Amino acid sequence: MDVHENQHSEGSKTGMWLFILSEILLFGGLFILYAVYRFKHPSAFHLAAEELSRPLGTINTLILITSSLTMALSILSLKKGDRRSSLMFLAATLFLGFLFLLIKYFEWAGKISHQIFPDSPRLLERNQGEILFYGLYYSMTGLHALHLLVGLGVLFAMGFLIAKQKVNRANIVPLENSGLYWHLVDIIWIFLFPLFYLIT
Amino acid sequence: MENKEEFLAINQKTYIAVWVGLIILTGITVSVAGRHLGRWGIAVALAIAAAKAGVVLSYFMHLKYEKGIGLFKWMIPGIMVLFALFIGLTFFDVAFR
Repeated sequence: MDVHENQHSEGSKTGMWLFILSEILLFGGLFILYAVYRFKHPSAFHLAAEELSRPLGTINTLILITSSLTMALSILSLKKGDRRSSLMFLAATLFLGFLFLLIKYFEWAGKISHQIFPDSPRLLERNQGEILFYGLYYSMTGLHALHLLVGLGVLFAMGFLIAKQKVNRANIVPLENSGLYWHLVDIIWIFLFPLFYLIT
Repeated sequence: MENKEEFLAINQKTYIAVWVGLIILTGITVSVAGRHLGRWGIAVALAIAAAKAGVVLSYFMHLKYEKGIGLFKWMIPGIMVLFALFIGLTFFDVAFR
């Protein structure tokens, strides 16, 4: 039975990694698009990127990195059989994820109140490169935020399952897989951050 | 239990050290961006981002501790290299068109 369990958890982890690969391809297409447009409009990208808030981008990067730490610690705690700490770290992860989205919301709201959003008359008056920059900014950070939102839902469900003891030391793979997904979302942001906020 | 081996290999201290490392790398990438390296700026930024992603993959996602033949230990970096090649080849097309 033990061997059987083992195979089952190996299988679901392999499935998770395959899913992660498909996610890399999904974002990969957008990164290629970004690379080509930036190559064609270097100064417009620089100009447009100056308008994004570097401090907010940096804070959000630190928030996500820290949430990756609390996620890893939540899994470690459950591995040791410490359900209470596991739930505590999971709650911290959820809080940080929520904070990230809140900051992202204020960033977007600020830009939109300045009439900068795809197809807005104000943006269309500007040059081609800046229009492309903001198109990519909204679609890439938007897709990332959507992933984070899904991650929050998954982690919330995990908290519920841990509390109910459905996910525990013996059956930890669901939490580990959720962790893999959460770290993936972190990695994507690690690349988005310098590409949108740190153009020099 | 087979889990035992794993949590002996990676403990709370390691995770916190990794976290500190990631914070430091973030600090470096932000301070370098303020220094106007021109064309090299993007290369440095991407190299640091790749290093950070590598650290997250190795430690937080446990790739470094994959047991058995470690299929994904090779596959994930392989895919990344392939992806970098894709972007490189795209540039050959775009730059010399």
